[in-house]
Amino acid sequence: MKTLFITFDLNAIDAHALVIIIVTYIVVFLFLALIGFIFSHFYRIMNYYYKHRWEKGKKKENVETPRQKITGDENAAIAAALYLFFSELHDEEKYVMTIKKVSRNYSPWNSKIYSIWNSLKNT
Amino acid sequence: MKKQTILILPALLLLFLFFIPAFSYAAGVDFSALWKGTGFPYFNLGNSVMILVGILLIYLAIHFEYKPFLLVPLGIGVIIGNIPFAHEAVYPLGVYKDGSVMNLLYQGVLKGIYPSLIFLGIGAMTDFSSMISNPKLMLLGAAAQVGIFATFLGALVFGFQLPEAGAIALIGGGDGNTSIFLSSQLANGLRTLPDGTIVQNLIGPIAIAAYLYMALVPVIQPPFMKLLTTKKERLIKMKPPRSVTRREKIAFSITGLLLTAFIAPAALPLLGMFFLGNILKESGVTKALAGTASTILIDIVVILIGVTIGASTQADIFLQPESLLIFILGALSFMMATAGGVIFAKVMNLFLKKENHINPLIGSAGVAAVPDSARVSQMMGQKEDPTNHLLMHAMAPNIAGVIGSAITAGLLLGFLL
Repeated sequence: MKTLFITFDLNAIDAHALVIIIVTYIVVFLFLALIGFIFSHFYRIMNYYYKHRWEKGKKKENVETPRQKITGDENAAIAAALYLFFSELHDEEKYVMTIKKVSRNYSPWNSKIYSIWNSLKNT
Repeated sequence: MKKQTILILPALLLLFLFFIPAFSYAAGVDFSALWKGTGFPYFNLGNSVMILVGILLIYLAIHFEYKPFLLVPLGIGVIIGNIPFAHEAVYPLGVYKDGSVMNLLYQGVLKGIYPSLIFLGIGAMTDFSSMISNPKLMLLGAAAQVGIFATFLGALVFGFQLPEAGAIALIGGGDGNTSIFLSSQLANGLRTLPDGTIVQNLIGPIAIAAYLYMALVPVIQPPFMKLLTTKKERLIKMKPPRSVTRREKIAFSITGLLLTAFIAPAALPLLGMFFLGNILKESGVTKALAGTASTILIDIVVILIGVTIGASTQADIFLQPESLLIFILGALSFMMATAGGVIFAKVMNLFLKKENHINPLIGSAGVAAVPDSARVSQMMGQKEDPTNHLLMHAMAPNIAGVIGSAITAGLLLGFLL
């Protein structure tokens, strides 16, 4: 093991080291500032885009399209089919108990009663 | 204690000290060879100290719950690494022996694989909402990087080489993985500098210092936060963040990825994986991948990185004066980073409208110990006013700190490799 010998030399900070420090710090700052700047305006751009799209869609909606009419008989048939489907989902029940037996038969091979400490206690 | 129990221990000792040598002598086996095959004859004071350090790390993790998922594997690794292996010549066991299992696992550290995978997991866990809703808070993450640069200069003054100083400096970023990544590239004991000197292997001390200070964030930061702020400032309530759409989050990850690729490409193994993890999460179509990255994958990698880094701290490599210096510089850098973030928040308040003022307590979260430093801000804020919730706001500088320290690592790698 080496002896504790601490050197302290301010001259070790040369121009090269200072350039590394200053450039790195500025770049990190600018990186985060740039991404922050982009996203402080991003939602405005998105809002403008979606507003524009929504307005365009609204105009399209105003154009009248021929409506497809469904007759009363057809409606009644659909309703009846839905009723039959939902009301007959559980028409056949199994009547089987779902509780399973989880207890195991007694096996002494790993019984704690016969552990060393219990054996010592009982002697 | 019962009489039988008291008798068992001396009986076992007697068996070991007398019967086994006697039996081996009778069988014609050289007992001294058997003894030399154990770790006992090679055990020294350095190993004992390191084993105690390992036990201390485990104690800190279990008793105080300081980053237990990191400190438990690390502590166990330190113990494993400091049991002298006698069979090295025949069967390689130690982390520095080529071909041993530990050595193969250690390649993940040396090649920077584990930190990248951890960043993938962190990315899959991270929510950029707080940052996108209030982007100016990102500057706090940048301000806290001052710890890195101060430590860089400090390490140079204390006689470390430029690449070593760069690796040590990253402790101040507060992100253990970034520190490991950079030290594995710059201070791995393998590189030769132009003047012929070989850089020292500082991966172990740097990793232990970084992880230890990350775990001790709740102890280190609060005194500085209190010292640098007034009660009035600590009571500032910030505007609740706006809701952020999924599109914005995806756009943020892609923009971040592109900017990283162009500005600091050397940081791509970390930030590329970070943004990939986040896109997996936010895209909504790769939930299973994001789930695996943020749970099972990161857990496995944390176990491996903890144990291997711990095992790399063999007494002969770790117990050096340089390690002590690294610990001192690391502590100072954490303090400076905390102070840098808090002071910068106060400076920002000078230029902001009163309703947009920032609580300076969240400035300390610029230290990239996610999410511990953000939690400390929340805890400190709640002490002053239980209705003031700073956690969401503090997450913004916290994540910006992660990105900032990774960018710094990339830039330093570009300059110093």
